[in-house]
Amino acid sequence: MEGIHLFDLAERQARWLSVRQQTVASNIANANTPGFKASDVVPFADTLQKTQLTMVATNPSHLTDTPAGVATVELRRDQVQTESYSGNTVSLEQELVKAGDVNRDYSLNTSIVRAFHQMLLAALKE
Amino acid sequence: MISSLVSSATQQAISRLGEAVSTTVASTATSAPAGSESFGAVLGKMVGGVEQSLGNAEALSLRALSGGDVDTRQVVDAVMSAQQSLQTAIAIRDKIVQAYLDVSRMAI
Amino acid sequence: MTDPLISALKVAASGLSAQSTRLRVVAENMANAQSTGNTPGADPYTRKTITFSSTLDRPSGADLVRVSDIGTDDAPYTIEFDPSHPAADTNGYVKLPNVNMMVEMADMREANRSYEADLQVVKQARELITMTIDLLKGN
Repeated sequence: MEGIHLFDLAERQARWLSVRQQTVASNIANANTPGFKASDVVPFADTLQKTQLTMVATNPSHLTDTPAGVATVELRRDQVQTESYSGNTVSLEQELVKAGDVNRDYSLNTSIVRAFHQMLLAALKE
Repeated sequence: MISSLVSSATQQAISRLGEAVSTTVASTATSAPAGSESFGAVLGKMVGGVEQSLGNAEALSLRALSGGDVDTRQVVDAVMSAQQSLQTAIAIRDKIVQAYLDVSRMAI
Repeated sequence: MTDPLISALKVAASGLSAQSTRLRVVAENMANAQSTGNTPGADPYTRKTITFSSTLDRPSGADLVRVSDIGTDDAPYTIEFDPSHPAADTNGYVKLPNVNMMVEMADMREANRSYEADLQVVKQARELITMTIDLLKGN
């Protein structure tokens, strides 16, 4: 149902989480690619406040926009746990932990949506 | 969100029937014993609880979806509680509608 | 635009493929660690190397991985004195492959680790897709 803030927010978070999943997948796949820099999505709160286009325009060298509308950014120095001789900054442990976070958040997201959706259906039923 | 749906469907039915019953009771019986409440008041409280329960569940869910620092168990408990309240309110509404229809069909 | 969850599967699949090829190269090196030439002074088996590079998947904006090169290691061969060997040169020295078993074992372990991690991603992306579709069930 349109116009319900809860469902709208849930859809946005789900999209943000799936872009994060894709980013984690890329990091893991390139764990052995020489010089590859690991990246992550921008914080969810940032995607709610400003439009992505504005963000990418003001930080062209740091943010990369994705077709899904959620920007990604390379890990900062303080976020990088290991760096290989070739300059690869992927840490498999770090990425797998992130993957676990995504899984948990996504699971809660779909559970909340289902619960409220069913409540809505029950209230509408004669 | 959902309270708007529940309000219109349930609250009206409940408050009207509650009124009808209270006026009937007041005209025939002695005053209610100390500690107990009128039918309408009790039903009104049950429905009022739904709105609060739903609001709480919605607020916690919004926090959780925004990535806020909220205990998962808290969110789940709040949503379950809201589901229970809603189911109760709907069951009461259905029973009231049924009772009203039965009463209106009674031969006088 | 591709659904990010679908492209996550595609990315992980590219990882599985790349690591598989890497494991194949390592296996080849290990199997030929003692393979010398047949004629006097001939070169032995030369260690193979593998290089990965990332490629951009335009529809999703994700970085896939691919094998960009399978080359040879130009590190010097090991020399052993064995005049009776068919590949011994005029001074009695035999050239042995420039394969170091410890290096190959370490490489294999790392490739396996990466492979398992990619597999985890596949499993998880599939789970997330299932969770989404299951929203419609049980109503």
